[in-house]
This record gives sequence, structure tokens and C-alpha cells, in this order.
Amino acid sequence: MNFKLTEEQELIRKNIREFCVKNVEPIAAEIDEKESHPADLFKKLAEGGWMGIPIPTQYGGAGADYLTNAIVVEELSRSCSSTGFTVSIHVGIACMLINLFGTEDQKKKYLVPLATGKHLGAFVLTEPGAGTDVMAATTTATKDGDAYVLNGTKTFISNGPIADTYLVFCWTDKAAGRKGMSSFIIPKGTPGLKPGEHFHKMGLRSSQTSEVVFKDCRLTKENLLGAEGAGMGNAGAAFDHGRVGIAAQGVGILQAALDESIKYSKERVQMGSPIARHQAISWMIADMATDLQAARFLTYYAAWLKDNKLPFTKDASMAKLFAAEKAMHHTTKAVQIHGGYGYIKGAKVERLMRDAKILEIYEGTSEAQRMVISGTVLR
Amino acid sequence: MPVVVACFKWVVDEAYIRRGAGGALDFSSVDYKIGEYDRNAIEEAVRLRDAGGGGSVIGITVGAPESAKGVKDGLSRGMDLAFFASDPSFKDLEPSQTAAILAEVIRSRIPQYDLITCGEGSSDLYAQQVGPRLAELLGIPCVCFVQKLSLEGGKLVTDRRVEDGVEVVEAPLPALVTVLPDINTPRIPGVKDTLMAGKKPVTTIKREELAGSFGATLKTEAMTASSLERTGEKLAADAAGIARFVDTLRKSGVIR
Repeated sequence: MNFKLTEEQELIRKNIREFCVKNVEPIAAEIDEKESHPADLFKKLAEGGWMGIPIPTQYGGAGADYLTNAIVVEELSRSCSSTGFTVSIHVGIACMLINLFGTEDQKKKYLVPLATGKHLGAFVLTEPGAGTDVMAATTTATKDGDAYVLNGTKTFISNGPIADTYLVFCWTDKAAGRKGMSSFIIPKGTPGLKPGEHFHKMGLRSSQTSEVVFKDCRLTKENLLGAEGAGMGNAGAAFDHGRVGIAAQGVGILQAALDESIKYSKERVQMGSPIARHQAISWMIADMATDLQAARFLTYYAAWLKDNKLPFTKDASMAKLFAAEKAMHHTTKAVQIHGGYGYIKGAKVERLMRDAKILEIYEGTSEAQRMVISGTVLR
Repeated sequence: MPVVVACFKWVVDEAYIRRGAGGALDFSSVDYKIGEYDRNAIEEAVRLRDAGGGGSVIGITVGAPESAKGVKDGLSRGMDLAFFASDPSFKDLEPSQTAAILAEVIRSRIPQYDLITCGEGSSDLYAQQVGPRLAELLGIPCVCFVQKLSLEGGKLVTDRRVEDGVEVVEAPLPALVTVLPDINTPRIPGVKDTLMAGKKPVTTIKREELAGSFGATLKTEAMTASSLERTGEKLAADAAGIARFVDTLRKSGVIR
């Protein structure tokens, strides 16, 4: 058993941390307030090769492992959860799915610009009436000769308003049940594809979220990702990879909550001593540090399983569930430690607490994770 | 097409040093980094190579075998190859020893070079001696505290910061410079830079492969944390507060 990261992973962590301190931390509060996508920052991320870490070099990636990607998402999220998540869903879902299931032509056409960070990807599955219940989706791709014609409305699509490449899931044969869903790669600007307006959210505010509407959107077989009917399996792979990213995001938020709590509790003096010396506070910090470590180990383990080509569905769910719930719990404690100062806009812990909540909801709610985990352990 | 030698040191990252009980420094959970000024030295070497349309950057570091990670870090910053003088006894060297080892590595392993770049000082000892000592041992000109430099027509042209201004200093090549932090902005290596670093050539040189002895002449007796005691007394910015402030300074003997 070896808990030590490789020298490369350690150096990459140091470098992305330095990058975040210089480029992410200074703008995080502002892009949260303005709900704006930091295009300049993403250009810098692309230049450093941070947008395609686990993708093979021949397709524009860095050819590193998934654990390295998790470390980078963690460090980005430690400074700005929106940025960490945007990278996470772009790499963990958009890039990974095309890398796993795309044809050579699709990889050249779509994956190379995604993995080099020139393009941004979106995962288009959720519908107004179909969240955890994916089977309740109503978007269809009807065959018309060799073409497919898409109709339907998707919602809560991260990167929806700004993506260049959309990975869309819809029914090609509703009657076939789970085997009737297919996935498509649809480039921005395709007639009939209409991204909606950015939703105003409680947290994760600089991540751009919208509806994506399809109205007689004509596609060819070249847009099909994997075989017809393989959509549900592809979505499963998307969740497995995506959840490791969300877990890493939770770890980053937990680390930030701990950083802020340690710093403030050593400075803030009440009743004659720094509040860090008060047991009520120091125990909160002890619990925070413990859960952070546990969340990090669960997350790295799930990524390690993936890198070693072992099954990791259950472990990705466990990491995501634990990191999400602990991030929510401990960011409220971090605000508690900061008292009134933590409730004021501009306090980092205030943003952390708002950003943490979505972790328990997207890419499978905590309840959905428990379904996956119990479904495996009770099998 | 210049050949530039960049010297760097893998030092304790001071952000991780903790103050243990009784004021002792706690190094138990420290991480390491390439010294801040040495990053400027590497960056400047890489810049000269790239501006010169070729050539190479050769990195050299001296340290304990654990510093191997630092060699990889250095290579990820654009160096082409590295020499690593590695020995367990090279852990806490003093400047004269480090300079002697570097000089021996350069004399024996690098037959031709145009310029040697060093940081103005290391991030840990900051003795600012290795650069000038190394130049002296190699018998080449040395320009310290350089904030701008170029290689023109076979000579070195530098802007050198001195207390009351800037001196423009020229020197024949090969030469050595120590650089100030404002000479450039060191890059943050991208993912691929780090992954590629491990594939670049590194020559590890053991102590017994070096001619000469590098005995220490200094001994560290003890190291303790500096402390800044606060009385926690708050003084208002009004006449009464200022009077109390002066009174407090007088009583504590700071002023008479």
C-alpha cells in the first residue's frame, strides 16, 4: 500500500496551487458576484494544459492519469468552486466520453479542440421532468432516412450558454427502454440547437447554467457517439468519471473551509485568547480536518481505481456522497467559526457555503448516490 | 546560440515551517521548493536561449539525494539537461562548499559555456555568496544584482542595481551574473512541462566522483524561531492615547 503521490503529481499540485493563488483567487469573489465566466482565465488554463489532463497526447491532452486531474480540480475548487467544476465537467465528462466512445474522426474533430482547451464541452442529459429518473426523459431523436431529428428541452445544463460542443442524450427508440437511449455530439451553431439564458443560482454562480432547447435539430450518423442505443451506458460512464470530479471539488471546498477557519480562529481574540484555543472551536476544526482527510482518501482511491482499470462506480459514488455532505456540513461550521464576519458578502466562507450545496444535488443527488452504493453492496 | 548554466537550490518552503514548543523550529512536515531567486535565474537562462534562437540551458544543483524532485522541478521550467551533485553530506552546505562543488562540476563536465546565472541569494540562507565565489573559482567576471541583461557581440551587457541608481556593466564572456527578482516573471510550469521533465537527461554525480574535498568550516549550534511578543494593549489615536503610547515606550525602555 502506498499513500505517496508521484513526484510529478506533487509538482503539478504545487504548480496549480501557485497558478490559483496568482490567477484564480484574486477574481473568485468578483466572478461569483457578477455571475460571469472568466474567459481570460480559461485561456490561461488552456495554455498550461490544464483542460485535458487525462486525455492522450495524440488528442491534445497531457496524457496524465485521472488522479492528477482530480488533484487539479481540487486545487482549482479550493480557490473557486465554479472554476473547478467547469474544468471538471469539461474534462471528466465531455472529453472523457469522446475519448472513450468516439470514433477516430470524432476524436480529431471534437476531442482535440476540447482537450487543448480551445473549446468547452457540456453534458446535456437532465430535463425539466427527468432528474434522478433519467427514464422519464422526453427528448427524442427521430429517424428521417439517414438523418436524426432532435426535439425536446433540456435544463440545468452546466456550460449551456457558452459551450462549443454539446453531448446530448435522448431517445432514439423509447419503446426499447434502457436500450433506446442514444448520445450525440452536437457542435454549437447547429441549426435547431438553442442554448437558453443563464440561470441565477444560489452558489456556483460563475459557472454558466441554462436550458438547451432542440427544435427540429437535424443530425447525421456522424454525430452519434457510440452505437445507437448505447446512450444509457455512456451516461453511466459519464457519471462515474464526473462524480470523481465532484468529489474532488468537495475536497477543495473542505480544504478552503479548513484554511479559512484555521487562519481566522488564530487571529480572532475573544475572552482574552484566540478562539482557536477555545475547545468549542478547536473541536470543530479537528472534525473538519478529519473529514477532509477521509474525503480526500475516498476521492483519490476512486481515481486510483479508474487509473488501474478497476471498477469504480460504487467508489466514485461513495467519494462524491461523502465529500459533498461533509463540504456542506463543514462550510456551515466555517461560517459559524467566523460568526457575523462569515455571514457578510466578501467573506470567503460565505461563498464556500453557497457553493457547497450544489454538490449534494448535481451529477446525482446524495440520495441517488445511496441508491448506487446500496445497489452494489446489497447485490 | 548561447549555452547558459543555471544554478539553483532546492530549499525548505518556509510556509511549512512551524514553531514548536519552546520556540524550536519544527521541520517535521516541511515541503521543498526551488528557491525564489533561483527561479529567476532559470527563467533568465531559458529566455536567453529562446531569444538566441537555440543553444541550451544546463541546470546544476547540489544537494542531498532527496533533492532529485527539485531537479525535475527545474527541468520542468525549461532547462534542457541537468547535473545533480548528490550526496547525503550535501544537505546543509555552507556557501564556500556549494561554490567549490559547483565549480568542480562545471570544470569537469561542461567544457564550453557563455554565461552562468544564479539567484541573488538562496531562499533559505540568503548569504549571497555562492555566485561571486563560483565566479572567482572559475576565474570569470561576475556581475551581481542584475535586473536586466543581454548578450551582444560576444559580451555581456547588464543593468546592475546599486544603492543610488543603476550601473550599466559590460563583461567579456564567459561570465557569471546573480539576478534580482524583477529581472523577469518565472513561469508556472504547465502539466506537460512537468510530465516531460522526467524524460530529460540528468547526470547524477556522487561525492567520490568529484575531485577535491569540500569540508565544512562552519557548524550550526542551534536554530530557534524569532518571536515577536505582543502586549495586546490598544491605544486610541487621540491626545490621551498618544500620551499613553509615549509613556508605554518610555517605561519599556524603547525611548528615553
